[in-house]
Amino acid sequence: MFLLFFLVSNAQDKLVLNGVVKDASSNETLYGVNILLPTLNTGTVTNEYGFYSIRLPNGTHQLKISYLGYQELVTEVTIEENKTLNFDLTPTSEYLDEVVLTEDIERLNIKKPEMSVNKLDINTIQKLPVVFGEVDVVKSLLLLPGVSNAGEGSSGFNVRGGAVDQNLILLDEATIYNASHLFGLFSVFNPDAIKNLKLYKGGIPAKYGGRVSSVLEIYQKDGNSKKFEANGGIGVISSRLLAQGPIIKDKGSFLIGGRSSYAHLFLKLTDNPNSAYFYDLNTKLSYRIDKSNSILFSGYFGRDVFNINESFKNTYGNAVFNLRWNHVLTNNIFTNLSVIYSDYYYGLTLDFVEFNWNSGIKNLNLKYDFSHYLNENINFDYGVHSTYYEFNPGEIEPSTESSGINSFNLTKKYAFENAVYFSVEHKISENFSTEYGLRYSTFLRLGQKELNLYENDQAVIFNEDFGIYEESNPIGSKELSKNRIERSFGNLEPRLAIAYSFNDFQSVKASYNRMSQYLHLITNTSSPTPLDIWAPSGKYIKPQLLDQVALGYFQNFNNEKYSLELEGFYKFINKRLDYIDGANLVANNAIEQVILPGTARAYGLELLLRKNTGRFTGWLAYTLSRSEQRTPGRTPEESGINNGNWYSTGYDKPHDISFTGSYEISEKWQLNTNFVYQTGLPTTYPTGQYRFENLNIPVYSPRNSNRLPAYHRLDISATYVPKRKSGNFESSWNFGIYNVYNRMNAVSLSFRKNEDSGNNEAVRLSLFGIIPSVTYNFKF
Amino acid sequence: MQNLKISMLMLILFSIYSCEEVVDVDLEESEPRLVVEASILWKKESTGNFQIIKLTTTAPFFADSTPPAEEAQVSVKSENGILYVFEELEPGFYINDVFEPELNRSYDLEIIYKDEVYTATESLMPVSSLEYVEQSTGGGFGGEDIELRAYYNDPPDVENYYFFRFLFEDLSIQISEDEFTDGNLTFAYFSNEDLVPGEDVEFEIQGISKRFYEYMFILRSQAGTNGGGPFQTQPTTVRGNIINTTNPENFAFGYFRLSETDFLSYTIQ
Repeated sequence: MFLLFFLVSNAQDKLVLNGVVKDASSNETLYGVNILLPTLNTGTVTNEYGFYSIRLPNGTHQLKISYLGYQELVTEVTIEENKTLNFDLTPTSEYLDEVVLTEDIERLNIKKPEMSVNKLDINTIQKLPVVFGEVDVVKSLLLLPGVSNAGEGSSGFNVRGGAVDQNLILLDEATIYNASHLFGLFSVFNPDAIKNLKLYKGGIPAKYGGRVSSVLEIYQKDGNSKKFEANGGIGVISSRLLAQGPIIKDKGSFLIGGRSSYAHLFLKLTDNPNSAYFYDLNTKLSYRIDKSNSILFSGYFGRDVFNINESFKNTYGNAVFNLRWNHVLTNNIFTNLSVIYSDYYYGLTLDFVEFNWNSGIKNLNLKYDFSHYLNENINFDYGVHSTYYEFNPGEIEPSTESSGINSFNLTKKYAFENAVYFSVEHKISENFSTEYGLRYSTFLRLGQKELNLYENDQAVIFNEDFGIYEESNPIGSKELSKNRIERSFGNLEPRLAIAYSFNDFQSVKASYNRMSQYLHLITNTSSPTPLDIWAPSGKYIKPQLLDQVALGYFQNFNNEKYSLELEGFYKFINKRLDYIDGANLVANNAIEQVILPGTARAYGLELLLRKNTGRFTGWLAYTLSRSEQRTPGRTPEESGINNGNWYSTGYDKPHDISFTGSYEISEKWQLNTNFVYQTGLPTTYPTGQYRFENLNIPVYSPRNSNRLPAYHRLDISATYVPKRKSGNFESSWNFGIYNVYNRMNAVSLSFRKNEDSGNNEAVRLSLFGIIPSVTYNFKF
Repeated sequence: MQNLKISMLMLILFSIYSCEEVVDVDLEESEPRLVVEASILWKKESTGNFQIIKLTTTAPFFADSTPPAEEAQVSVKSENGILYVFEELEPGFYINDVFEPELNRSYDLEIIYKDEVYTATESLMPVSSLEYVEQSTGGGFGGEDIELRAYYNDPPDVENYYFFRFLFEDLSIQISEDEFTDGNLTFAYFSNEDLVPGEDVEFEIQGISKRFYEYMFILRSQAGTNGGGPFQTQPTTVRGNIINTTNPENFAFGYFRLSETDFLSYTIQ
């Protein structure tokens, strides 16, 4: 603290200008607005709550305030004492009469040390052609370099060869545990309620932790505090409606948005009493108390429901509640205090076997973050985070009195995760800037009712006779109160990013980050399922530790018309869990008996070439990468998993090319297209067969040593915006064709016995052929 | 625990839009290995004298059949030293008709095939009787199929593992454990869309060891009937309890196990 004081007092020779930058039509705060002082050759950027603070010498200065999709504001400020000044920016869309050709793609910031970061504006996302015309935040990320998934219809996304559970997904600062609807066909984020999103693939600042691969930060809109507004859409799969408006004009606002797919959606054609649907609800209340205090409440509630013949009912989803207090502590220190409750629930009602199943994860999270704008060259970010978890891996209750099932609870688990961090953004010279920080995270695994004990603490034993790993039988168990600490872990996580700019349009950047992850999603399918549970680190599961380095070259051409980003990365993860052959994870109360710690590595090159302005805009992304894992034996006698050899992860795609283009024909019509080409996913083919107990059993080659055929497809869409007739009513139509040339991409190749001939055959499963769609959107 | 029909659910979800097509795939071929199907079954209240051990080898994946393993020397030795030699009656079928089963007794299998010695050890597992069958409707995804529940009493306070066979049109198998049903009157569930009044269904219950249960659990998931998709589990090579003592690298597939069994026939009402 004394260091802080020193630095603060040392910088008092200038005056502070601070405030908030908002949208003039809705008072929505704007994140990432550039505030430049050309005469002083300095500037700043607004934070996620629209706040800025900058130090200026006494006098009159010119300010240029610019943000994508908004009119640039040029103004003069005379400053004689510390001052608070809010700016309102006018959206360019209100000036449709002029031909507006600014683009919404985020332009490249050459000089900031921030690298390996992609921002997508919600307007860009909404134009991309997508399957069934359902605008999808997560699916649009897949078009960026370094981001992929485990095939069509799989849930989540993989960043730089990392697993799905290694992404930290924050919705208004709250962690989302399962971001998929309908097993991954759609993501849980209602695009209408989202303000912006930012994906960190590397060089992750010390503010973030708990997951090793990436951070996806999504902010919901605050709500319009100027006037009532509603918008919505009608699509093939779902419909949306969102309303927002002032509670107290210019001070308080509300936002409520809902989205629901049509019931019986997938099963109606079969004319039976089944249904499958999802819905979600986004709410937000915000209130600006005075110039230095605001309160924000946000909530998210989403569920997927499958009901088969009333005898099998499956419900799952997230619920998140979040209360935040933004407080300007001094004119250059912005603070945010968040209290977050989040709950992921998974339930099954199985009437035909007469029992119910409930599982989930609940957590209470407290975050106190400070942004400290010390002077024009140094900003600090520091804070504390603390999370309390309760894991319910599953409980079974008989659903009828005559049920032959005994009620049974898998052991509940409890843990505390805490972190403190300090991060510095430091502009050392005109050409050289850095961001460095340190995060110290701790994880306290608390006591539980029953903790299995094993001989030599080995829950998995190697059977040398059969050459296989087997579950070890517990030699006893211990009980410990959940107020006591069973095991604790602590990790120092240094972060560093540096940028050197040769001039205003060329730079090189490098970054290093170490991160730790204490929660593990227990899954051994190529794509996680909603049933998969999260397991905390403890006696038998060690935290995952990642080291990542990245190096990049960045250039803007032709007055920022084009930009080029070229990055290379290497990452190494220690203590990545792997599953022994034939591990059964469903309702397993002793997961430690089927897992072994291994390592994972990924490396690659990413290229992103963008055209930012003009009638034609878009980008080309190419990723060349590998993602592998290895679990060697713990002793020389043990074989390890897959004979201890490196093998491809289920989402390893060496080549991944995507092209996204958008062409504005006229004010009314816009054309968009995507083309994607990817190496086929790794898979395992049989090399022989045998018969046993009337079953045809394939003999398999080593894990993931084969590949599916290459994946490629072309999508097109057109957006039509009719001329506004009267009043405030606006509408647009989106016509799309997914997979134009009807490529039958393999989701999987499976090998099975043909029931008629009795012979084996290979069967290709493909999910989406050519799919036309139409969506109608409106706003008033 | 009863098999949660998650994969079935996903299959439904996908089946509406998805498309399955049989395709040609070039596969590598692995060296043939011995496959042992040594299931010694002792039906309650029978002598259990007549026993068959079946030996085959692995074949290329798309081959029509798997070849028999001929000219092997097969014998089973009981814990108390009695040796039963199994003679090859037909190619790959090895038979003994004086076998004397005894519950919970341990037995050793020895096979000499192509100058290599394979061994395995297992105990004869007892089983509860099948008591009665209950019939109702409401099975299947249409909710209109006939479903059958064959009841049995699970012995309390011991871990029990079961292997069921249903003989109707074709043979189908199921396995279960008593983790959630310990000591209860519980049932094996069978439903088929072709079940109609007048048809006969045969139920068989077999007692098995924990290890064989786990083996069958993995084997069934590998049998390739779950349709694939992104939620498929990692395919693996499944090792049974047969050890090649001459050349451990050249291991055999299959299992040697001994089970008490009980039958119950039921005519659909």
